[in-house]
Amino acid sequence: MNDTTQIAQRDTGGVARSNQDSARRLTLTPAVDIIEDSHGITLWADLPGVSRDKLDVKVHDGRLYIEAEAVVPTPGDLQLHHAEIRAPHFARAFTLSEDFDTSKVDANLQGGVLKLSIPRREEARPRRIDVHVD
Amino acid sequence: MSDFYFSNDLFGELDRLQRQMSALFGNLPSSIRSSRTDAFPPLNMGTTDESINIVAFAPGIDPGTFEVTVDKGTLTIAGERKAPELAAGSETRAYAKERFFGTFRRVIELPQNADPDKVEAGYSNGCLTIRIGKREASKPRAITIQ
Repeated sequence: MNDTTQIAQRDTGGVARSNQDSARRLTLTPAVDIIEDSHGITLWADLPGVSRDKLDVKVHDGRLYIEAEAVVPTPGDLQLHHAEIRAPHFARAFTLSEDFDTSKVDANLQGGVLKLSIPRREEARPRRIDVHVD
Repeated sequence: MSDFYFSNDLFGELDRLQRQMSALFGNLPSSIRSSRTDAFPPLNMGTTDESINIVAFAPGIDPGTFEVTVDKGTLTIAGERKAPELAAGSETRAYAKERFFGTFRRVIELPQNADPDKVEAGYSNGCLTIRIGKREASKPRAITIQ
């Protein structure tokens, strides 16, 4: 069974401020793919220009936060003429349900794509119940 | 993300308004040479005295599949982004599918002074950076007054 259930439309406006941050800066909403199977949830996020040390993934109070900063090496005297990516900061947050084991989140950043695997708790995994007929 | 955190920053507000308006009207370009605002990959372009620098934000692409060509004063960036393979047979449910997959092609008109023989390209952390040198004659030069 493959069905698509979109629970949250991405705000393509993209430019928002995260008010968790005292610095109050402009941030972009990264595009994500979220797929769930019987083992857990897998999230891919596009974070171009982000290196491992500029990426911050944290789980706090049942919320998953992804915060990152893109660094693109450019010459110092560069004059920008056309920009489709204006803010170098990415931020997005998701609410996680109790079913997921947040202590076993696996994060992998490769080529500007973050892959997060969040397993389900053992007791929350679906299991088939045999029906006995007397 | 809700609109709750939107600031009173004018620049951000205008940007958001423009995108929402274009999304409302089907995102069709108004000019014959303009592209959709959400085209993949997003590009930034700038110049220095010596070069023209272009950054394409294209994460998750095998660098060998990029086709970067300079022809008749235009720069073309083409390639394909392949979707990750999912384990077949398992029950999957997709909650969000926002990332772009498939073939893409973006064309940039280069300034007259771009030198097609001096093009360098590199790919790191999902960003394709292209540097095109300027012709010697077009570089700024201080003129001594006699």
